[in-house]
Amino acid sequence: MARFHPLTVTDVRRETRDAVVVTLRPADEDRAAFDFTQGQYLTFRRKFEDEELRRSYSICAGKDEGVLKVGIKRVDGGCFSTWVNETLKAGDTLEAMPPMGAFFTALEPEVSKHYLGFAGGSGITPVLSIIKTVLSREPRARFTLVYANRQISSIMFREELEDLKNLYLGRFSVLHVLESEAQEIDLFTGRIDGEKCAALFRNWIDIKSIATAFICGPEPMMLAIAAALREHGLRDDQIKFELFASSQPGRIRRKVEAVAGADQGATCEATVTLDGATRIFKFPKQGQSLLDAALENAMDAPYACKAGVCSTCRAKVIEGEAEMEVNHALEDYEVRQGYVLTCQCYPLTDRIVVSYDQ
Amino acid sequence: MSDTMPIEDYLAQGGVLSSPANVPPRYRGELLRLMASFVDSELAGSAGFADTINDAPGIQERISAARIVLEKADHAGKVLRVMETFGADGGLYAVHHPWAERLSREADIGAARQGGDMRLSVFHYPLEGWVDAVVMNVLMGRASVVQLKELSRVSYQPLAEVFRAILPRETRHAELGIAGLVQIVDNEQSRASAKASVAYWYPRVAASFGHSGSARFETLSRFGLRHTPNETLLADWQAEVDAQLSALNLN
Repeated sequence: MARFHPLTVTDVRRETRDAVVVTLRPADEDRAAFDFTQGQYLTFRRKFEDEELRRSYSICAGKDEGVLKVGIKRVDGGCFSTWVNETLKAGDTLEAMPPMGAFFTALEPEVSKHYLGFAGGSGITPVLSIIKTVLSREPRARFTLVYANRQISSIMFREELEDLKNLYLGRFSVLHVLESEAQEIDLFTGRIDGEKCAALFRNWIDIKSIATAFICGPEPMMLAIAAALREHGLRDDQIKFELFASSQPGRIRRKVEAVAGADQGATCEATVTLDGATRIFKFPKQGQSLLDAALENAMDAPYACKAGVCSTCRAKVIEGEAEMEVNHALEDYEVRQGYVLTCQCYPLTDRIVVSYDQ
Repeated sequence: MSDTMPIEDYLAQGGVLSSPANVPPRYRGELLRLMASFVDSELAGSAGFADTINDAPGIQERISAARIVLEKADHAGKVLRVMETFGADGGLYAVHHPWAERLSREADIGAARQGGDMRLSVFHYPLEGWVDAVVMNVLMGRASVVQLKELSRVSYQPLAEVFRAILPRETRHAELGIAGLVQIVDNEQSRASAKASVAYWYPRVAASFGHSGSARFETLSRFGLRHTPNETLLADWQAEVDAQLSALNLN
């Protein structure tokens, strides 16, 4: 299982009113582990009021910058992003897992390629990493970026993108699309939808020349762009997606109090929810796992190894208490949040409420 | 562009997910089950085929069999690495079942999984010698290709990419099987035993496509984890292998 390593914060730079760029340095012995590939992300963890939160943010540095940087935009009600934007400072330490993710294509310095990128808001972070890396490592590559934002003031990395245009003259172009700010050309105002894509492909982007398209942004934008790209002849393996980090739940969930009381019985009444349907059944506290009991009661609960290894049967205990015989798959923070491997789960209370849907 | 939409709607409209952090809980369970089924089938397939290497009648056949054993284990490893990003313990997983173990030739388990072993039911039956192994590999090889084409469209991008990379190699395994079968039917005696093996394996491989009108298919297609119904995949497979078998006069 991946492990967390301490990273020293060497700089926190304000990028826009509600976004910062954090520069991080791994310890010398962790340098190799943090040698990232363009487009990858880091998963951080931090304790807030006794509950551990994990959040993933894309690396926005290029491979040749020699530093680790992430761009973090404050999300409304987002505990971690607010803390980073308001409190984090140089000299602090953040804990992160080594870089992960597959939002990239292999570098081929000899090949002349034309990439197309679509970024919505802070979805620019992994795309920026890719842009900087391919322009520097693939001297014959070109990159066209379509970058959607609400207004000019909310554009992250606006200056850096301008600098890149000058540095890689003729190889990098940016089309800014602003949702709520009129521009000279109507096409560049409003949201990116299928129609806008079609117009872009008609007059501004030669879609036939595109080797790979990268899309990172909110869900509706990704759907519209992917559909338009397919319609214009791109194959699935030419389209790379990275779903917006903000779709992660932002708030700490309140811990559920265990139900106190006499729990002397030999059987447990289980209330189990799966796909929105709830079933109540009784089963012995010993000898039969919660998963087997659910299966016996005609619930199509997910499972695979039945050995506490694969985590397919994960569910959340909402009321009551249970213990796991074996756990090779859930981490401590998940267990603290109430998650169990139902194939290894035996109830301790007379009543237990469990959901596979949370 | 901060407007988002419920992840269920996004998936229903063909959206793609890209990391363990953005999969909803039920999707996670079904995705892991799908991966476990693939990993178990590849490990069991590889383990079952290993003995066949020593049954091979020549160097080329020995190399082909060894290659199939090697690459199927490698394919299992590739998908297991995706499972590890969800927390699965890959090291323990790879050894948690005796993959070479088989039921009896006459056992009748239909399409049922056995306990926590998620291999397709067809991989619970034992191979009997070189001709039998080649026939099984031709029939199941084609089935794997049909199923992998379907799986290459799964909505979890890191997994779809692994399946796309695996597909050409599994296609090659099926072709190696056909090459072996062409040799076999040259001889009348081995043709007869190949015919008997076709009769044995054909319904068992067909069963591995699952039931028609499956309720699980509905759930999986809502999540974008499946697209084509079981019965359509089965019909595609039948059309392909029926043509191959009749070209060799084996059906």
